[in-house]
Parts: sequence; C-alpha cells; structure tokens
Amino acid sequence: MNRERLTNIALPLIGTLIVVAVWEAASRLGAIDPRVFPGPVTAIAEAAGRLSADTVGEHMAWSLFRVFSGFALGVAAGVVIGVLAGWYRWFGLIARPLIELLRPIPPLAWIPLAIIWFGLGEPSKFFIIFLGAFFPVVTATYHGVTNVDPILVRAARTFGVGGWSLLARIVLPAASPDLATGIRIGWGLSFGVLVAAELIAADRGLGYMIMNERNTGGSVSVIIVGILLIGFLNLLTDAAIGSAIQRWIGRWHGSGV
Amino acid sequence: MTVGREGHSQVGSGAATRVEAEPSAGSAIRISNVTKSFGAPGHGPTVLRTIDLTVRENEFVSLVGRSGCGKTTLLNIIAGLERPTSGTVEIHGRAVRGPGQGQGVVFQQHALFPWMTALRNVVFGFRDASLSKSDKQERARELLQLVGLSAAADKYPREMSGGMQQRVAIARALALDPEILLMDEPFGALDELTRIELQQELLRIWEARKKTVVFVTHSINEALALSDRVILLAPHPGRIERDLAIDLPRPRLRTDPRFIALHEEIWKGLSS
Repeated sequence: MNRERLTNIALPLIGTLIVVAVWEAASRLGAIDPRVFPGPVTAIAEAAGRLSADTVGEHMAWSLFRVFSGFALGVAAGVVIGVLAGWYRWFGLIARPLIELLRPIPPLAWIPLAIIWFGLGEPSKFFIIFLGAFFPVVTATYHGVTNVDPILVRAARTFGVGGWSLLARIVLPAASPDLATGIRIGWGLSFGVLVAAELIAADRGLGYMIMNERNTGGSVSVIIVGILLIGFLNLLTDAAIGSAIQRWIGRWHGSGV
Repeated sequence: MTVGREGHSQVGSGAATRVEAEPSAGSAIRISNVTKSFGAPGHGPTVLRTIDLTVRENEFVSLVGRSGCGKTTLLNIIAGLERPTSGTVEIHGRAVRGPGQGQGVVFQQHALFPWMTALRNVVFGFRDASLSKSDKQERARELLQLVGLSAAADKYPREMSGGMQQRVAIARALALDPEILLMDEPFGALDELTRIELQQELLRIWEARKKTVVFVTHSINEALALSDRVILLAPHPGRIERDLAIDLPRPRLRTDPRFIALHEEIWKGLSS
C-alpha cells in the first residue's frame, strides 16, 4: 500500500520532469526557435523580468475570484433547477429540452450576448464562467435525482417524511455522488472558459495578461508562463475540490469522484 | 394465540365469518373487502380480490404464497404505501390513509440511508418532535443494543454485512415505536445461517416489545418457525386460500412431527 502510494506520487512527478527536461534540451539544442517557443528556464526568467510577482499575483487573484463567483452561481442554479427538473415531472418536461438545446452551445458563443446583456464589467465575465459550471451541474443533478433508489423514498415515507423534507433530507443526499461529479466537471469547465471570459474588456486577470502580451507585441515567455499558471491553478484547486468531495461522500459512498 | 383452527380452510368470503367471531377490541389490523387492480378498472390485472383479514393485537401473522399472489401488495396497502382499489384497512380502528400512521416497515433490501451511520439511521426513525437530539441518540443506542449491534453504531451501511444491515433496519423501524411491524421478506436476501439467527432475534424482540407483526415470506419453514398464524395466498387474482393457526410452542423444532405435518399441509395448499 505504502509502496503503491509512493509510486502514485513519484511517477507523475518523474513524467513531468522528463517533459520539462526534453523541452529545455530541445530549446538549448536549437531544435525549436526560442523566439516563438523559449525553453522553460528562459521563459520563467524573462517573464520574471517583465512582470513583478505582485502583478502576477494580482492577475491570479482576479482570475480565481471570477472563476469562483461564476462557478458558485452556476452550481447554485444547477442544483436548484436540476433537483426540480428531476423531482417534479412537469417541470422536468419543460426544462429538459431547453437545457439540452442550450447545453452544446460553447460558452464562447455567448460572449456577444453577454456584453449586450451585462455590459463590459464583471457580470458579463461571471456569466460566461457561470455557463461553464451550470450545464454539467444541472445535468448531473437531474441524473442523480431521477436515479435515487425508490426504496429509500419509500422507507422515508414510512416514517411520515414527505414534501420538502423528503427532498432535502433524502433525495438531495442520495443524489450527492452525482452532484459531486457535476461539480468537479463544472469547476474544470469554468476554468476552461476563464481566458475567453477575460477577453471581454478586462484590464486584469490571467486571461488579460496573456492576451495583452500578444496584442502589445510583448514576450512569448509571459504568454507561456500565463498559460502554465492557469493549468497549475486548476490542478491545485481541482485537487482541493477532490479531497473535499472525498471527505463529503467518500466514507459512505466508497470511492471519490 | 389463536387456538384450534388448524386445518380450518377458508376460501374467499369465508374469512368474513372470522371477523364476526372475533371481538373488535382485540384487533390491531382489520382488512375489509380489499381489492387491488392496476390500470383502468375492469381492464388491468387484479392483484388482490376481496381480501378480508383481521390480525389481533400482538399476533405474529405470516403471508405466504407464490410470486404474483399479491402478498407484497397487501403489505404495502397496510403500510399505506399503496392504495386499495376498493375496500378499507383499519389499524386499531383508524382507517389507513397513508404511511406514517403507526406502521413500521422493514423491506427486503435493507433500505438504510447510505449516507448515515447505523446510529443516525436509527435516530432518523424517531419522529417524536418532543424528543431532544440527545434523547433520540440515547434511545437509538438502546435499540442498537437490542438488535445486538452496539459496537457498529458508527459504521455506514456499506461497511456492514447483509445481516447487520437488516438488524439496523429493524432497529430503525422500532424507533418509530410502531403499533404494527410490517416485514416484506426481510431475511430473503440473507444466507441460511444469518437468516435463522435473525429469525431467532426477531422472535426475541417480538416477545420483548410485544408488537403486532405481519411478515411476508415465501419460505414455509420461516413462516412456521415464527408465526401464530399463516395465511396462504393463491395467485391470479391474489386471494386468501387458507388461514392456519400454528399452535406450537416456541422455540420450534423443524424435526417436530407436528411441524413437519404443518409444513406438508402448507406445501399442499401452495401447490394445489
């Protein structure tokens, strides 16, 4: 078990190190043009020269704030609509086709509308990120609620539990493993549309940092570091959410999501 | 205990005679003229037809029959989980209008809430709003002790064996302090040894807590080991075929000639 855990941590690290080493070597040996694709050492050094840690930190903080706000709104709306659509047949009949109609539309396609509806400030960015979280959460919640084991509902009813109490105390917890899957996927998608959301007249955030560098003919290094930072932040926060989910449902459900 | 009704066979409305013969004061459950059919009236299959049955207080009654004889449907109707197409069910003189009117139910699957520990599942069973949280926990621990599971209070259902899960389910049903306990093949999914063990436990609990029990099973041995009365249901449509008093002292031995004779009698009733 211990040995297995060590392998589980060591192998991904070794893999990453090999890729970074090959990247650095390719750049030093001249296999890739450092003007369009600098090696990792050069990229970090150059980026550090152009931007202070404070500036990068501020961009990161704004991006995280936006992702979290849009995500929280998406989860809240997704859970409420998903539960209602799964539990009340008539509401499901109305809501389901609408959700299925809108779900495949990429959040990017909403940007023009978002600007018209919400202007150029934060709300339009929240909206794009909201869309990233909302659809996976609403779909997973609906699925979870419609698949609650009927025997649990019958058992609860024998104790005289019904109505909203049944929904809150039995249906929602029973659907929570599906809900957790939706939250996890939704968080990833929210992050995925971050750069797109920050294309809308932003003056801070990692997406802005990347696009601004491109538009002003700045350094490729900053773009590369910015992209990696987005990936890195997502990795960290996803791990945090994963372990929170594990604490939430791991023991009774058996496995994490 | 009902005496001297061995071999007394009743078909259809014959059961009505029983009702008159018994004083209503002692009856815990009174099922009158219950019919259940699915689908449009006169078109869907009739699952139960004109069932009349009276269960006396503290009586242990088993419903036995083939699949499709409607025994589970009848139990669900008493539980208030299904409505009869016609006829009435009364518990201690009150018409059943839904679940949660003093019927405790134990299902074939354990039906425990998987996100709650054993203790919290039992605590859930206490619906009495006047009890404080700590009172409920204390009483839940007593019930877990009654079913022999004190040590497993903090385990989740998936961490327990099938037998343990059913013990918790019984404790949870008892938390309701039900007037009647309805059990739908509760030991059907367990292995033979666990099954016999739980049958003995159930008898012990039944004697300690004095409950009226209606027990659905397809095992003749199980019905004979437990019941004061065995009701044989016949299928298509579900109806009462026979009503047998099991007047044997407990604990009952499967090798007892009377046990064997009754087994034979029920077997014949089921295969006719």
